[in-house]
Amino acid sequence: MSAGESFWSKAWRKFLGDRFGLASAGIVLGYFVIALGVWLDLWGQQWSTLTSGSNLPMSSAHWFGTNLSGQDIFDRAIYSTKTAFEIGLSVAVLSTILGAILGAISGFFAGRWSDEVILWLMGTLDSIPFYLFVAAVAFALQGHPLAMHAAMIATFWTTTARVVRGEVMKLKELEFIEAARAIGVPQHLIIFRHILPNTSHLLLVQATIVFVSAIKSEVILSFLGLGVQDGVSWGLMIAESTQEVIVGQFKNFFAASGMLFVLVMAFNLFSDALQDALDPKKVH
Amino acid sequence: MRNHAVTYLATLLVALGLVACGKGTDQPATGSDGSALKVYRHSMDGAPTNLDPVHSATIYANFLVLNTYDTLYSYKYLTRPYALKPNLAAAMPEVSQDGLTYTIRIKPGVRFVDDSAFANGQGRELVASDVAYSLKRHFDPSNRSQGSWLWAGRIKGLDAWGENGADYSQDVEGLEVIDKHTLAIHLTKPYPQLTYTLAVGFSAVVPHEAVTKYGRELSIRPVGSGPFRMAKFDTAKAVLEANPHFRQEPIDLAAEGFDPAVHGGLGLEAIEGRSPPFIDRLEIDFILETAARWNSFTKGNEIQFTSVPVEQTDTVLDSRDPIELKPDWTERYHSTTGVEAGFVFTSLNMDKPYLGHNDDPQQDARNRELRCAMRDAMDWTARNNRFYSGIGVVFPGIVPPAASDLHSKLSQDSVSRNLERARARLKKAGWTQDNLPTLEYGFQNSVTSRQLFEQFRGFMADIGYPSSKIKPVSFATFGDYNKAIKTSQLDVIPMGWGLDYPDSENTLQLFYGPNHTPGSNNSNYSNPAFDALFEKTAVMQPGPEREELYLDMSQMVVDDCVTISGLSRNRIYLWHKDVIGLPDREILGGFWLRYVDIKSADDQTTPAS
Repeated sequence: MSAGESFWSKAWRKFLGDRFGLASAGIVLGYFVIALGVWLDLWGQQWSTLTSGSNLPMSSAHWFGTNLSGQDIFDRAIYSTKTAFEIGLSVAVLSTILGAILGAISGFFAGRWSDEVILWLMGTLDSIPFYLFVAAVAFALQGHPLAMHAAMIATFWTTTARVVRGEVMKLKELEFIEAARAIGVPQHLIIFRHILPNTSHLLLVQATIVFVSAIKSEVILSFLGLGVQDGVSWGLMIAESTQEVIVGQFKNFFAASGMLFVLVMAFNLFSDALQDALDPKKVH
Repeated sequence: MRNHAVTYLATLLVALGLVACGKGTDQPATGSDGSALKVYRHSMDGAPTNLDPVHSATIYANFLVLNTYDTLYSYKYLTRPYALKPNLAAAMPEVSQDGLTYTIRIKPGVRFVDDSAFANGQGRELVASDVAYSLKRHFDPSNRSQGSWLWAGRIKGLDAWGENGADYSQDVEGLEVIDKHTLAIHLTKPYPQLTYTLAVGFSAVVPHEAVTKYGRELSIRPVGSGPFRMAKFDTAKAVLEANPHFRQEPIDLAAEGFDPAVHGGLGLEAIEGRSPPFIDRLEIDFILETAARWNSFTKGNEIQFTSVPVEQTDTVLDSRDPIELKPDWTERYHSTTGVEAGFVFTSLNMDKPYLGHNDDPQQDARNRELRCAMRDAMDWTARNNRFYSGIGVVFPGIVPPAASDLHSKLSQDSVSRNLERARARLKKAGWTQDNLPTLEYGFQNSVTSRQLFEQFRGFMADIGYPSSKIKPVSFATFGDYNKAIKTSQLDVIPMGWGLDYPDSENTLQLFYGPNHTPGSNNSNYSNPAFDALFEKTAVMQPGPEREELYLDMSQMVVDDCVTISGLSRNRIYLWHKDVIGLPDREILGGFWLRYVDIKSADDQTTPAS
């Protein structure tokens, strides 16, 4: 290791040395390419097209067969990847930004009224059962297609905020912040230009964790009828499969839960590898 | 340490053993004297939300309302086509020559169930003024009745009574209480269906004491004079107990329509000469998920009745036409099949200027072509096969086969898929993928509803209707969905309609202009020629002349492409062999449950140890 190696290059080197991390990143990247292809209308566009046969077996025309309604299960599973990434990315990005900003303010002004208010808000949101909260938001938004996103963002930011708050409380006591204060840098610049960038490694890890949580929650909510309104998702496919498994048709169930399982597992491994790589105590 | 581990393990095993044994110690329910109770466990695919008769708009609510309250008339248990018979009334009504006055005598000595709403907690006698009071409640604006349309504008002074403050101390001219047991109903114009309306749950008789005491709580706490009284009610289950004071009326099977050739083998002979109810307790489980309901039924020791889910049709049926069950199923269970007294259809909202009525004649004509093209795109065969096991009855028009054979006189054209004609209609009217309107398709959120939507959208895609222009709008409850319909928010409205009584008028009124939403005309169809015929037929007695006019009205709705109709579902019911009864959820509704019996309480299946 060279003496002048930066934190990020150390982390990158560490990550490259993690075989599981690399493999899982490759899988996540593969899913992302699939989702991108759906976005670009390259594949998966026939997810709602009715074919002539229901419950058709796997074949070259229908790789995963068809469901009871005669729709291609492979196309539906592929299209659901886009649904998962749409929700995962939007929720991860927005809740991380929200958590970072509120966490930084809370940590910087720890013990003051703004900190008290944010802590109270976090405590209140955390005390509400998540699925009841989503149902309430969905009802309040009259079944709006983004109700699920709003509910997830409104609840997932609190964990990020708590992590950031703790880090900011530590950072604000360091010399470079004291120096900034001494030369009269305004508080908002200290928070957003000097402190927050130093929590980016935490935010990156936290975003990956939220991403996985959002995907899992979407599947559960869609299964319960509270999630995706227009389109298809793995949760909706699993809900559909409840009518099929009792007559011995498992294709829908295995396709959706298999795709979900691999993505969640890969993302968890990727998240762990990222955490290891970005942990200053472990970066040698 | 090792000894501790062994002790813990032994304790755990004993605990598990106790739990296992505990499961096997379930015994049939017993009465206070220790004798086994006769319990029948019914199941329904939905749950009622309101048991107040003024809100008993669903089949689920009717099942409970008709068993906890009384109506003046009901239907003969086994006679088909359905035939009315006196229930609370002593006889069929005496109708005046001009058809404007119905005199109804009520059986003396009928008692409401004991309830703390009454003085001393003892139910008092039900009298004619209670019937008048119960009908008045529908016109009290504070009750927001869902059943007032049955009598709106029909009974003299009743509408005005509601509009003038709904003062219950004031008499209504059209509801004349002649004496304690006699009521005369005076009509504004002949209403041949009146007697039918006095057999529906909406007409159930409510004591004013219960309304005063419970108010809105009456929605979960029925106080009537029916064969059962409510013991427990929540969103998952209703438990009813036999009303010990229910009037003694021995069954005359022949009068009820018993036919040994049809009903033999069901054990119904056992109830001859006995007075219902025959069971001590009626439990109704509300199980929305078909898989859960099916598993509970086939398990053997839980629910004793179910309809066969579509997914299980191949498991159960040997033949679809005629419908025959596989021998092992007929050995294990009783069964019955029958076309529903109702239908499913998809209405198009005529209120929307881009789809329905339009002041511009040219646009109006274009909209008609669009609606007709959508109807041409509908594949009823595929819908029947996918969602109704391929055994539903597809028919043209708006009068289902259970009400009349009108459909046989209409062309099959409106239920035949014709993609070429649909595309030609769109082209002729200048509709392109770019200018086709975006339509909102509503439904109550469920897997099946969503699949129905996707199939509908797939049919439309076949004529070039962009999928992105048919948007799903889902609602958490039927109440929310219904509210959106009644406020004319949706463009495409999939619905099911169960007949309230076996008369075509009951479906034709769904397209009568003055019944515009929030009334029952969900499609908001308005056609003066149709309305004129409806008003003309409304006062006509049944007969060929009225049928001819009904046919004309049906043809108008078909020609205007107001709705994509229709299909009557063919249902298969199964029930356990120890149950004596003939289930029917159609017009008969919940009436049949009072006649249910269990072969012997001792023979009831018990959970295995």
